[in-house]
Amino acid sequence: MQLKRPPSALHLGLMAASCALLSPAARVQAADSVEQPFELDSALLYYKENSGRVQTIEPVVSLKKDFGDQRILGGTFTVDSLSGATPNGALPSRKPQTFASPSSTSLIPQPGKKTTLYTIVPGNLPQDPHFKEQRFAGDADWSQPLGLDNTLSFGGHASTEHDFDSLSVHTDYSRDFNEKNTTLSAGVSEEYDQIHAHGGNPVPGSDYELYEHEGGQTKTVSGALIGVTQIMARNWLMDLNYTYDHSEGYLTDPYRILSVLDPLGSVTGYRYENRPDSRGRQGLYWVNKVAFGTTVLDVSYRRGKDSWGIGSDTVDAHLRIDLGRGVYLEPHLRWYHQSAADFYDLYLSAATPAPQFMSADPRLAAFIGTTAGLKLGVTIGRYGEMSLRLEEYEQRPSDQSSALPQLQGLNLNPNLTATIAQLSWRLQF
Amino acid sequence: MAVAAPSAPDFQIAVRGDALTAVCFTAMASPCEVLLETADMQEVAELARAAAHEAWRIERKFSRYREDSVVSEINRSEGNPVAVDQETAALIDYAAQCHALSEGRFDVTSGVLRGCWRFDGSDRVPEVAAVARLLPLIGFEKLQWRSPQITVPPGMEVDFGGFGKEYAVDRVLAILCTQFPGAVLVNFGGDLASNCAPTQAPWQVGVERPGTDREARLLLEFSRGGLATSGDTHRFLERNGTRYGHILDVRTGWPVPLVPRSVTVAAGSCVEAGMLATFAMLQGRGAEDFLEAQGVRYWSLR
Repeated sequence: MQLKRPPSALHLGLMAASCALLSPAARVQAADSVEQPFELDSALLYYKENSGRVQTIEPVVSLKKDFGDQRILGGTFTVDSLSGATPNGALPSRKPQTFASPSSTSLIPQPGKKTTLYTIVPGNLPQDPHFKEQRFAGDADWSQPLGLDNTLSFGGHASTEHDFDSLSVHTDYSRDFNEKNTTLSAGVSEEYDQIHAHGGNPVPGSDYELYEHEGGQTKTVSGALIGVTQIMARNWLMDLNYTYDHSEGYLTDPYRILSVLDPLGSVTGYRYENRPDSRGRQGLYWVNKVAFGTTVLDVSYRRGKDSWGIGSDTVDAHLRIDLGRGVYLEPHLRWYHQSAADFYDLYLSAATPAPQFMSADPRLAAFIGTTAGLKLGVTIGRYGEMSLRLEEYEQRPSDQSSALPQLQGLNLNPNLTATIAQLSWRLQF
Repeated sequence: MAVAAPSAPDFQIAVRGDALTAVCFTAMASPCEVLLETADMQEVAELARAAAHEAWRIERKFSRYREDSVVSEINRSEGNPVAVDQETAALIDYAAQCHALSEGRFDVTSGVLRGCWRFDGSDRVPEVAAVARLLPLIGFEKLQWRSPQITVPPGMEVDFGGFGKEYAVDRVLAILCTQFPGAVLVNFGGDLASNCAPTQAPWQVGVERPGTDREARLLLEFSRGGLATSGDTHRFLERNGTRYGHILDVRTGWPVPLVPRSVTVAAGSCVEAGMLATFAMLQGRGAEDFLEAQGVRYWSLR
C-alpha cells in the first residue's frame, strides 16, 4: 500500500470518461442519496387573442415527490389572470348597440343600482371590454402500486374564480399484463361546480331587456374512462382510451346573449342563451408513440360525440428531434374540426317564437381549428430542463355571413387567431 | 439455506447468516454474484431478475462471439458505415477516450492479433512476419467515428472485451440502486462495485490473483466504488525460457515485456478501476510507478 496522492491528469481524464459512460443514472450513488428527489416543474404561459380580445398570463408550479416503490405524490398550483374583450354573442349591426356589463345590476341607470354600459360601433362584433377574471386552481394526486402488477391512484382538484367554483375527485386503477407489455386502466371522476354570475345568473332564455336574474346555480359532471396501453414493438407504444362523461345542471353560459332580428336583419332585441340541462359526451382517443433512434413521433387521433349534436375530430402530431448536446426541437401540428350544436344559431328570428334551447356561442359553432408550433428544449445539468414553446392557433367558423339585407357585408363570426408562448423549466433536487 | 428463485431457474438466491442475501448466476463466462443487505425474499427475487437480465442483455448486445450482437454487426460491415444506438455510441466514445489517454496503448481494434497469438500455455510463438502482416489492421485512428456513425475499414475489428464486464458490473449496480435502498455488492468474476458498506461491517472481498496459487488470494475490506483486476492468469506462451504474456503492445504486435502477474486497482467505479489496471499492465516494468503517479489504491503481484 502507498500513501494517498491527488489523482493525476490522466486519472482525472479517465474518471471523466468513466462518468460519461455510466451517466446519467449509473454513477455509484452515495448511501445517503438513495432518497428520491423532488421534481419541480414550473411554467409561464402567455396567451393572446387577436384584435384586443382575451389575453392571459398563467404561471403553473407543480411539485412531484417520489417516495420510492413507485409511490408518487404530485401537486399543481395555477394562477390565471384573464383580461380583454370577450364576445357577448350578439351580432354586429348597422346601428350602434348598447349593452350592460355583467357586473351591472340594472340595464337602465337607477338610484341604488349599479350600471356599466358599453356601446359597440356599427359593423363591429359586440364584445364586453370589461372582462377581467382571476382564477386560482390546485390539484393533488397520489399514486401507488397495489401488489406487483396493479397501480391505484386518486386525486382531487379545486379552483375558484369570482363567479365559478369547482371541486372534483377522481380515482384510477391500472393493471399490467403480459410482462408489463399491456396495461388496462379504468377510472371514474365526479365534479361539482357552482356558478354565481355577477349580479346573479340570468334566467335562461329570458328577454335581455327584462334583465331577470336568479340566484346561484350548480352543475355536476360524472366521468368514466377505460383504456388499454400496449407496447407494440421495442420502439412503439399504443394507447386506446374511451371516455364518457355526463353533465347535469346549469350548463348555460350566464354572459352569452343572442340577437333577435327582424326579416330584414335589423335588431329588435336580445335574449339570454339557454342550453339543455344535461349533456352526455363520448370520446375515443388513439395515441401512438414511435421512436426512430433518438427522434420520437407522437401522433394521436380523437373522435368526440355529444348529445348536443357536436361531433369532433382531432389529429395531433409532435415530432421530437434530438439535436445532441441535450438540445431538442419539437414541431407540433394540430387539426381540429367540430360540427355545430343542434340549438346553435347566429341569431334568433323575431318572426317565430323563441325555441326552447338556443345559443350563439362560437364555441358551439361548426369550425376548424389549426395549431402550428415549435418547441426548443435544453437539458441543464443532469436532471434540469428548460424549454420555450411558441404556437399560433387559428379558428375558422364555417358560418360567417347571412343573406339578410341588413347583415350583408358584415362578418358575423370572425376568425379567431391566438398566439401562445410558454417558458418551462424543470428542476430536481 | 439455498432457495431457487420461484420463476427463473437461471439464478440462485441464498440467504446468508450475516443478514445478507446472495444472488448467483453466470454471465460473460464468469461466475456472477450480487450481495444484497436484505432478507426479504420477495424483494430479492425482483432484484435478482433485474440484475441477471441486465448482465445477459449486455452480453447479448456486445459479445463478439454472438452473430446477432452489435459488435458482430459492426465487424461484418465491410467498410460500410453503421449507425449505432446511444449505448453503443457511449462505449465507442469511451474507447476513443481511453485510446487517447493511454497514448494509443489501449486499443479496441487490437483483437485481430488473436489471429496469430494463442495463449494456451504452449510454445507456439508466431512468426515475426505473421505478426507484422496484421499491424496495418490495428489502430483506432483508422476508424471513422462520428457519432452515431462508425466506419470500420475492411479486415479491421472492434471489441469491447477490454471493459465490457466492468461496464456490466457498474450498470447492474446502478439499476439495483434505483430499486433498492440498502447496501449492494456486484461481483462478476472478481471485478466488483458497491454503493455502500452494509450496516454491520465493510464488505469482505476475496480477489483471486491470477498467476498464483489460492493462498495468495487477496482479502480486502471494501466499502464503496469499484475494484478490478488485470492479470495474465494461465494466458501465456513460454519458449526457450522466455515468457510471452497476453498483454500485447499494439504498436509492435508483441507482448509487453515485464508485466506484473496481476494488478488490482480500487477506484470510483468498476470501469475506471479496470481501465487503470489495464493501463498499468500496458506499462510493463513501469506498472507500479504508473499506479503510484495516479494516486490510486492498488495491489500488484510480480
